[in-house]
Amino acid sequence: MLLPLLAVSGVAVGLPLAYAFYLSLTNFSLTQQGPAGFVGVDNYQGSLTNEGLWSAIGTTATYVVIAVTLETILGLLIALSLQKQKWARDITRSMLLAPMFITPIAVGLTFRFLLNDQLGAIPYLLDGVGISYDFLGTGNALLTLALIDVWQWTPFMVLLLLAGLESIPKQPMEAARVDGAGALYIFRRITLPLLVPILSVAILLRSLDALKVFEYVYATTRGGPGTETETIQYFTYQTGIQFFRLGEASSMAFILLAIVLPLIIILFRRLDRAK
Amino acid sequence: MGTVGLKSVQKSFGDTTIVEQLDLDFPDGSFTVLVGPSGCGKSTTLRMIAGLESVSGGTITINGKDVTHLEPRDRNIAMVFQNYALYPHLTVLENIAFPLRATKIPREAARQRAQEIADSLGLGHLTHRKPKELSGGQQQRVAIGRAIIREPAVFLFDEPLSNLDAKLRVETRSELLAIQRRLGVTSIYVTHDQEEAMTLSDRMVVMREGKIAQVGTPSEVYSSPTNVFVATFVGSPKMNILPGVLEDSTFTIESGHSWSLPHAHAGSVFVGLRPEDLLLVPDDRGHAVIEQIELLGPRAVVALRLSGVKLVSVVEAAELASLAVGKAVTVTFRPESTHLFDGDTEERVPTQVLQREG
Amino acid sequence: MSSRTLMSALRGAFLISALAAVLFPLTWVTLASFKTPQQLNDPSLIVFQPSLINWSYVFEAGILQAAGRSAFVAGITVLISAIVGSAAAYVISTYKAGGSATRFGILAAQVLPPAVLVFPFLTLAYVLRVNDTLIPLIFAHLSFVLPVVTWFLIGFFDSVPRSLEEQARVDGFTRFKAFLLVVLPQVYPGLGAAVIFGFTLSWNDMFYGLILTPSKSAILPVAIAGFNTFRGVELGSMSAAILVAVVPVVIASFFIQKRLVQGISGGAVKY
Repeated sequence: MLLPLLAVSGVAVGLPLAYAFYLSLTNFSLTQQGPAGFVGVDNYQGSLTNEGLWSAIGTTATYVVIAVTLETILGLLIALSLQKQKWARDITRSMLLAPMFITPIAVGLTFRFLLNDQLGAIPYLLDGVGISYDFLGTGNALLTLALIDVWQWTPFMVLLLLAGLESIPKQPMEAARVDGAGALYIFRRITLPLLVPILSVAILLRSLDALKVFEYVYATTRGGPGTETETIQYFTYQTGIQFFRLGEASSMAFILLAIVLPLIIILFRRLDRAK
Repeated sequence: MGTVGLKSVQKSFGDTTIVEQLDLDFPDGSFTVLVGPSGCGKSTTLRMIAGLESVSGGTITINGKDVTHLEPRDRNIAMVFQNYALYPHLTVLENIAFPLRATKIPREAARQRAQEIADSLGLGHLTHRKPKELSGGQQQRVAIGRAIIREPAVFLFDEPLSNLDAKLRVETRSELLAIQRRLGVTSIYVTHDQEEAMTLSDRMVVMREGKIAQVGTPSEVYSSPTNVFVATFVGSPKMNILPGVLEDSTFTIESGHSWSLPHAHAGSVFVGLRPEDLLLVPDDRGHAVIEQIELLGPRAVVALRLSGVKLVSVVEAAELASLAVGKAVTVTFRPESTHLFDGDTEERVPTQVLQREG
Repeated sequence: MSSRTLMSALRGAFLISALAAVLFPLTWVTLASFKTPQQLNDPSLIVFQPSLINWSYVFEAGILQAAGRSAFVAGITVLISAIVGSAAAYVISTYKAGGSATRFGILAAQVLPPAVLVFPFLTLAYVLRVNDTLIPLIFAHLSFVLPVVTWFLIGFFDSVPRSLEEQARVDGFTRFKAFLLVVLPQVYPGLGAAVIFGFTLSWNDMFYGLILTPSKSAILPVAIAGFNTFRGVELGSMSAAILVAVVPVVIASFFIQKRLVQGISGGAVKY
């Protein structure tokens, strides 16, 4: 019964993965006429010394750290509030979770225009209180994109953390209240430690997802200003699709995979333990 | 017809053996209970008979046919699990009728048969409910109904009463027995509760660590346990076991107290005395002191201490007048009611009272 | 005011601001889709005479066909994933088939950056001469939807008691029949949520869609991006296109929330 899964996965994932690895060892280019030449680790060498790639990795890392940190904190606050909420629970939750289901390109484009200084509502409102901020300008662009990520993906954290909060046993907290502990103390010493398993799973999942960021860049800055918002996925896309250097792009993708693999392993272990 | 035979049946995982070389026969129509503490292998044995667990060695036959490697569905058995395993998405009627879906019996006939069985079990008015809408006792009856409908050769029960509260358990027990008698189907029942085993079985199989400790009728097992383990496992409160030495018809325990015990055997022994056979004589210079008295209606359980050894006796409520906590008593017993076990093997020593002269 | 009521008020205010933050961009887009190009020039315009000009434009431009293609790709992907995934999830959950390696593989496939797989898909598509069909896209989508659906279902199968299947086997059914008639029905709610979630993931993808489908037969997210043209702002039409993509999915999301967590965490957290 497992066979079909293995068969389909084999074709959909295994094969491409293997072929991608092969590609990464060639100098394949879509514009080429002849067959691809085997260049061994040249691509990898080239990529590993490619400043653009490392800059992209750095940019993406910054993006992920900012976005996921904000999402975790906000997500926790919202989840805590939702847990205690008494009125209109289901509707509120449904509405708060909606953003994560929207196709990311739509979110990117929406914010592109919401933040546009001529047509967007937000600069208009900020102007009303005397603030002028160039959202997608130099120095601000990456932060702005991270905030878009926060808008869309905090609900994901809320979802997981809310479930975590509802599944931790209530007795330790009740016992602490009976013993006279204050709300903050209970949270710090009891709730938070009990949440650590699901918290770490959520952070890992979200981080792995956040580093794939592409659509927001594609919708707004296309990597600019300069290379400020050139994330890994976007950089690889450019190398492969805009410059047609598939072999090189593949090698970059595998370097990314190598970086990401330890995270996946950690996530796997955590999930096993959480069970 | 439903005879079951186990020959040298064994179950092992790597180096650990869970069930060792079991030889057991179950006559047609009998109600056999496999009983023992957790981990003794009783459930594993049952599951091997069912075909849910593979056999590491030996053969299992049902009605003479070798079923050792057959799938459960080909063995003509029915089983009731501890949690009843009712199908949550089906109604009571559909649950009972479900086994017939694997046969060629048409749907309508199956439903009718299921209705009859439901009626006979007092569930006739509940047939459209889903399992979660039923009480524990009702769920259990649905499970039994589902087992009956196949008219199997053997019924297998895996601790079906453990999830019921005490009172319900006793009621359901007698119902179960009545059903079995009525249908006459060979039944094999697993439980850890020795009281359940005693009341339900024609034959008890006491198991320990993968081996059979004793097979017999409840009264045989109760009155003639073959070793210390069975002696203390069956019967509540537990049999008192006194280690000591038997020599020249005198039994002496470590503290020096002794009793006359006419018996040819000599050596280190365990003397077993059921609480009801332990006699207490109020005596100011008695060697035992009463520590606790628990009144259970017509009887009372009296806990004593005899020079550091704890003993339990059961007395009639009427006798309590002369007993009180803290009072001293002398402990005696009738020699015929002792159970003698070898000090090393813990096996029963046949009781031979010394012949009297003349 | 007691500290209890203060906390309650703060909480309420906080949640309301969160709600506002969520609804604001969505409302803005909805409004924009009904504004004419002139009206769009004024960001402060809230009360206005609505116009359907954008909507008729996007329909003419083929937005519904794009949506149809997205639905088609998502539908096939989800169908295959449901069948293959439930069988696999069942054996993985019940018999621990494939061991940790398989489960790790399933997790890894879900979180793999698309950049790794997209180029081989592209090349293979050309080699097999299917590069102007939706087939490469379906396979690309399968590469992450199938693992997600399987992962989801493993958690749900984990919560079905083993004795249910054993009872069915004793009652006279083969293992497969027992799975089909007894075990599978227990996870129907989870399967439903997995299918909706998988559909959403496929529906929302733009990266693979951008690279693997010809621009003539773009899928919905790519079509939306298409309104972001060199002519600059086609804001109104784009807003309408966005709503076409967003509304069905958000509505569907209302139905699956309860089961979502159990699925995402692979059963690690029961909601």
